[in-house]
Amino acid sequence: MSASHPGADVLLQCTDVVKHFPVTSGSLGGGHATVHAVDGVSLQVQQGETLGLVGETGCGKSTLARCIARLYDLTAGTVEFDGRDLTGLSRRQLRPIRRQIQVIFQDPYGSLNPRRRVGSIIGDPFAIHGIDSRAQRKRRVQELMERVGLNPEHYNRFPSEFSGGQRQRIGTARALALRPKMIICDEPVSALDVSIQAQILNLLADLQAELGLTYIFISHDLSVVRHVSNRIAVMYLGKIVETAPTADLFERTRHPYTRALLSALPAPDPDAADSRERIVLAGDPPSPTNPPAGCRFHPRCPKARNDCIANDPDLVPRLGDHASHRTACLHPLQIGEDMSIAIPQIGDSEIAADTIATSEGAS
Amino acid sequence: MSLSDLPPESDFAAVSAAGTDTDRSDAAAGGRIRGRSPWALAGRRLARDPVAMISLAVIILIVLVAIFAPVFAHLTGHPVNEQYRKIGLTPDGLPKPPGENFWLGSDDLGRDILVRIAYGARISLLVGVVSTGITVAIGVVVGLAAGFLGGIVDTLLARLIDFVLSFPFLLAAIALVSVTGPSLLITVLVIGFFSWASMARIVRGQVLSIREREFVEAARSLGASNTRIMFVDVLPNVLAPVIVYASLLIPVVIVVQATLSYLGLGLPPPTPDWGGMISEAQAYYRVAWWFVVFPGAALLITTLAFNLFGDGVRDAFDPRTERLIRQ
Amino acid sequence: MLRFLLRRIGIGILLIWFITMAVFGMFFVAPNNVARTLAGRQATPQMVQSIRDRLGLNDPLWQQYLRFVTNALHGDLGYDYYHGVPVTSIIADALPITLSLAIGASIIWLLLGVFSGVVSAIRPRSLADRAVTVFALFFYSMPSFLLGVLLLYFLFFRLTLAGYRWFPATGYAPLGQGAGAWAQHLVLPWITLALLLAATYTRLTRGSMLDVLGEDYIRTARSKGIGEGRVVMRHALRSALTPVATQFGIDLGQLVGGVVVTETVFGLPGLGRTAILAINQQDLPVIIGIVLFASAAVVVANIAVDVVYAVLDPRVRLH
Repeated sequence: MSASHPGADVLLQCTDVVKHFPVTSGSLGGGHATVHAVDGVSLQVQQGETLGLVGETGCGKSTLARCIARLYDLTAGTVEFDGRDLTGLSRRQLRPIRRQIQVIFQDPYGSLNPRRRVGSIIGDPFAIHGIDSRAQRKRRVQELMERVGLNPEHYNRFPSEFSGGQRQRIGTARALALRPKMIICDEPVSALDVSIQAQILNLLADLQAELGLTYIFISHDLSVVRHVSNRIAVMYLGKIVETAPTADLFERTRHPYTRALLSALPAPDPDAADSRERIVLAGDPPSPTNPPAGCRFHPRCPKARNDCIANDPDLVPRLGDHASHRTACLHPLQIGEDMSIAIPQIGDSEIAADTIATSEGAS
Repeated sequence: MSLSDLPPESDFAAVSAAGTDTDRSDAAAGGRIRGRSPWALAGRRLARDPVAMISLAVIILIVLVAIFAPVFAHLTGHPVNEQYRKIGLTPDGLPKPPGENFWLGSDDLGRDILVRIAYGARISLLVGVVSTGITVAIGVVVGLAAGFLGGIVDTLLARLIDFVLSFPFLLAAIALVSVTGPSLLITVLVIGFFSWASMARIVRGQVLSIREREFVEAARSLGASNTRIMFVDVLPNVLAPVIVYASLLIPVVIVVQATLSYLGLGLPPPTPDWGGMISEAQAYYRVAWWFVVFPGAALLITTLAFNLFGDGVRDAFDPRTERLIRQ
Repeated sequence: MLRFLLRRIGIGILLIWFITMAVFGMFFVAPNNVARTLAGRQATPQMVQSIRDRLGLNDPLWQQYLRFVTNALHGDLGYDYYHGVPVTSIIADALPITLSLAIGASIIWLLLGVFSGVVSAIRPRSLADRAVTVFALFFYSMPSFLLGVLLLYFLFFRLTLAGYRWFPATGYAPLGQGAGAWAQHLVLPWITLALLLAATYTRLTRGSMLDVLGEDYIRTARSKGIGEGRVVMRHALRSALTPVATQFGIDLGQLVGGVVVTETVFGLPGLGRTAILAINQQDLPVIIGIVLFASAAVVVANIAVDVVYAVLDPRVRLH
């Protein structure tokens, strides 16, 4: 995709965004637990670039996306878009700004109203913001349909008459309608067959080049994110653990969690796959209602030390990295370091991080 | 029948969900999909249901009778409220059986039963449709607001719904009508007033689940206001159960109105009304069976037709039941 | 659980209170001719006024209501306007009749409805199923008063003419005077009520059974080789009957006010009929007393249903 220009304008600035959800009480006792969905996230997105946001299910990336789009109110922190602070704005004040930030949703079957015709769905943004007359809207909608690769004569059809890939095109057309500056793509291809995924990704790339869009691309699939992003941020349990330009993230991985994610990527060459180390993180991902103390990853980290329990590391450049590559780890990986032989040096019997090297057979 | 006889709310979950699983043929990019809208599919299913179509024909027939009631008066030569004490009653002053002059017999005041039945159809249909219309209008709006807006609005409205539903309906309706005096308007309003709560409850239940769907979130992200989302996005998704419920409500309303008339609280005499006629007939049932049977048959046939048609509508929107039986 | 129950009871009491206020308000908005009727033809305005005073009708509305509520909380529902009979005893007299009718009919309709519904569901599209469905639809569409009159005609009049004095005409014979007479007078009303409601329950049971029989776990049971009889009785029936039980609770509650028509057709002086007479005479204390009673019955029945539901399904308690 298009390269980001250093020194370009910062379009989105998130500072210490926090989003907690109260857990409604269970059958016994009072429920005062909270889900720490997003627990202090700061990031920047520059005009024209694509920021990839990766993490396991439940890490908070979708919640973060909704906080940025102001579909949720923030518990704490700020979101600034195009110089304006969106955090405390009311719904009425947000309305004009919504034209600038749009969302493409994950579920092609759920994100379109099954009882409305496709032309009406795509034309919704125009109708909501009172732009254009009926006739003009229809023309615009048909233009949009063509641009995303749909037949404009299907204007009056219902979503059920389209395939999954086509429905995502419809969702894309809807998001494009008001010429937004930024589009948040929340796992846009996760529900699609692999062959269709490529088509949609190409469509998104073309649109970005043509319209100068800025994307936040959310996915749990690193290989997809690698393909589309200029920069990537890795999330774990509500916090960002590493953020870097794409090439750096893959070649100069610093955070153990990122390394573990990378090791799970399928490699096209079977021989290379065999000789590669696979890092399997033991233990279950902890629940977001009760995050571990200190560094949140320490219970599963092969490189954990005692200071990892005491301190929650900041997201800063480590080991002499460039300012754009930041890691939240007290003991980041050296380049070329083999994590599979790391042993956690903690006097804590609950640590259980095993590594399995498929070819070496070391335990 | 009473208002609590309507189908339980569990029936309706399937109806709105079923709209999404229409013909879904796989398509290559830009492929030729010959799909149909959910409404068209339901319409097709309905048209293929012989029982539903026959009952629809009967309903249309009844509507025609109601519209052309004056024709009956003209053909028989007996205006609807005209009492024929000489030729319409036996020498003992009792109603005359069906015969040459009075095709369906006469009533206790010598009036032509056939003509009165025809005019009575007007009352039943009018009350049935208008009351149901009021019920739908109020019930849908309240249900939408309660389900979608949540919070205090929902709490208040849900309590209001409970309140209305807790009223002992028949007693309260009777009390209301007796206080205000019987009239067509009051009857329509009273029935509508007590029925909207059930509809609102059903709509609210549907809305609560629709509210969580992603397309609602999408609409919000576009900047749509609550009102717009409620009426443009949510409403089309609750229409299916509403239509089914309304179709099944009409016969209930017709029976309730006839019951009120029977109890003397319907319309003021001499308005011809099936329930009222049966009430008058009860004193004579030993000697004038036609006085009971013919208005009764009219009432029964009307209700049956609407019930059968309502069942057909429900099955058209919820093919699940059909498939189950065909196994 | 206790909290749930208390909440429901609290809401129920609130509901009953609001209902009484509504009925009170309704009747005081309308012109009240009670005093004039009592005073008779030759009444002078002063006589009418003094009667109104005696009945407390000249006091401001809220005062009358307050008086009513305080008395009610002491178990005193006032006295009827015309004969000075305590409302509580009027209700006490009428209640057994309504209860006899309601409970007797409810047993019949429950058994009849559930049985035919189950039979219908386990052999769909068979002759039995079609017959049951047709009958259910027929009686479901029939207005109660029409059925009552028809039954009177065929089962009383025609049979009596033919020499079979099985059924009495109308009226009620208290249990105290012999169970035979009591039952005999109630048979026709029972049949009327039961047939109508059985139709609803047949449809309900049939639909519910069909749904349950289509579930995966039933398919599993069958594929394990369990005989059809056991599949139905053991596995399917239990879940299928839950909505039926709920509906039954609701219907029982509504019956107290809902048997008005049947009582009228057959001349049974139960709560419903008494209420209608009182309404026609604008006898306010009686009306309010009965409406209070009837709505309390509905509320209690709803709470009972909710409790049963919560016991059966723990998720409900989290509301």
